[in-house]
Amino acid sequence: MRIRTVTMLGLALITVAACSGSTATTASNYKLTLIQGVAGDPFYVTMACGAQAEATKEGVTLNITGGNKWDATVQKPVIDSVTAAKPDGVMVAPDDSKALLAPLKAMSDAGIKVTFVDTQLDDTSFAVSSIATDNSGGGTLAAQTLATLIGDKGSVLVVNVDPGISTTDARVQGFNDEMKKHPNITVLDVQYTHDDPTAATTITTSILAAHPDLAGVFATNVQNAEGVATGLKQANNTVVKTIAFDAGPKQIEDLNAGIVQGLIAQDPYGIGVAGVQQTVLALKGQATTKTIQTSLAALTKDNVNNADMQKYLYKATCS
Amino acid sequence: MTAVQPTRGQSIRSAVAVRLSPVVARWNAFAQTRGGSVVARMFSTNAAWILLLLAFLMLLFNYLAPGKFLTEFNVRTMATNVSVLLVIAVGETFVMATGGIDLSVGYVLLFSGVTSAQVMNWGGRDSTNYGWDIVLLGFIVALGSGFAWGVLNGLIVAKAKVPALIATLGTLGMSWGLAEILSNGQDLRYLPSIMGDMGASRIIDKIPLVVIVAAIVAVIGSIILSLTRFGRYTLAIGSNQEAARRAGINVDRHLIKVYAMSGTLAGFAAFMNLAIFTTTTISGHANDNLQAIAAVVIGGTSLVGGVATIAGTTIGICIPMVLFSGFTILGLQSFWRDVAVGAVLILAVYTDQLRRRRRERH
Repeated sequence: MRIRTVTMLGLALITVAACSGSTATTASNYKLTLIQGVAGDPFYVTMACGAQAEATKEGVTLNITGGNKWDATVQKPVIDSVTAAKPDGVMVAPDDSKALLAPLKAMSDAGIKVTFVDTQLDDTSFAVSSIATDNSGGGTLAAQTLATLIGDKGSVLVVNVDPGISTTDARVQGFNDEMKKHPNITVLDVQYTHDDPTAATTITTSILAAHPDLAGVFATNVQNAEGVATGLKQANNTVVKTIAFDAGPKQIEDLNAGIVQGLIAQDPYGIGVAGVQQTVLALKGQATTKTIQTSLAALTKDNVNNADMQKYLYKATCS
Repeated sequence: MTAVQPTRGQSIRSAVAVRLSPVVARWNAFAQTRGGSVVARMFSTNAAWILLLLAFLMLLFNYLAPGKFLTEFNVRTMATNVSVLLVIAVGETFVMATGGIDLSVGYVLLFSGVTSAQVMNWGGRDSTNYGWDIVLLGFIVALGSGFAWGVLNGLIVAKAKVPALIATLGTLGMSWGLAEILSNGQDLRYLPSIMGDMGASRIIDKIPLVVIVAAIVAVIGSIILSLTRFGRYTLAIGSNQEAARRAGINVDRHLIKVYAMSGTLAGFAAFMNLAIFTTTTISGHANDNLQAIAAVVIGGTSLVGGVATIAGTTIGICIPMVLFSGFTILGLQSFWRDVAVGAVLILAVYTDQLRRRRRERH
């Protein structure tokens, strides 16, 4: 009997403890929730910071949640539970453009305003707005930068996450289209890492072993960038030029240390701000902008400390 | 297996019955401690305790989030989101009842999903408008793939005498690798649209079809485990493999059947997964094996085998999902969910050990 009581009390305590550590904010009229693509990723942390700042400014409550893996089967229960919590509006970054259509449609049918931030579904008709970087343009920019860095010849490797993620698919598309204009550059078969940095490391070292003439690598997101940098460090390689998407704290370190030569930075803070703005507009019954593209910047060692580049540096915490 | 010699005046059948009687006697004693009725046999005291825990959690979350947690919508979606895992966990219960373990279930599921989807899309054609005959073919392929891996597991464990932990760890890697090779690391996103409809459909507009299917699997599993000879042999092998062998049970053949069952159920779950998500979800299912094992253990199945109930497993599956949903609805930081589920798992096993020790002292 005692053990049972202890267990019940213990669980109640954990719930209360977690309550006090939550990211709830000022009370007000509208309740919004941000569903990150994955919790803990500097890109989404920065997006949450932007969303939080805008929410405080507009006087709405913001709740932030996300799965602990980039996985549609993990995100589905999160989406369903958020729908059950009946917020007024939700900003969401779906982990898969097709598998999560049903639960997000159900969310919209329940009367919740849905805004896509960063990734989106194949069907965006029921969303208030879709806010993302021009990922295709980012891929093109990455290709141009990399081509210049490697002297416009050699083999290049693309390290991608998973097919079916709208953002990274667009980046690779833009990259490949631009590389077609550079006949002396060979693009090797794209490799997938399932958003696992360890896989990116293994892939990098293996490809290096198989292709000693490898000149450049394009890593399509933060996790891949980390893994590729580790792989190059392990292989003691200073010849390969790397362009990575996203500018997390570790990537900035790598950029300054010369391990990575260029970073295509998005503006996740801006995406978070725009997400809250559009959702609140919809809740107030005002007109929204269906598609918003936020800006990109190519960061190198030379310009990373410029004042106007600071907003493109991702944060690990909001302070 | 020693040959059964009929003594004078006895038939072979009764001689075997004599050998089996210690097992049967133990089973009857086990049943009698719980009242001996069919219902009592299916419902162990540990299952009763965790049912109490589940009820407490649901009431707690209902109190903390009134009108949000115990709604028809949330109960329905929680049930849908555990249905695939429940089917896997039923198979896992049988395996763990024999004292073994099956770590390969998540990736056998992936593999079966990939083969099923590829066969349905055979020839590179888009299967979106295909009919029920193709869907049935896909279903058979999914079951067959799971069955094949299950038989392989069983052979390695029973015949090659490799410990189940290692054997299924090996098949975990092999099935994952083969799934990646077959699919080229890419999700197959074209499936017959009637499958997606099936995955989303509801009976009497309230209960999702996948939930009913999972419930039927659980009920059949429960009947097999507690009321049939197959189930009795399974528990006997887990309780004391050598005694079961000497009592005349063909342990090797039975183990192969049990692992085959686990694999086939993983294939069945794969098909349900395809219907719910309409893609092969290749990047997922990494933790399905551990989640299934946790559910089975929370439900009161002993880690060394011999004691198991499907009712316990079913409740064990629900507790992490209730915690997950409740914490998300309350807006709590996502990582606290994992803390709570881990704590519940340890506490459940601890109390189970306590009860076991208390019982053995009498």
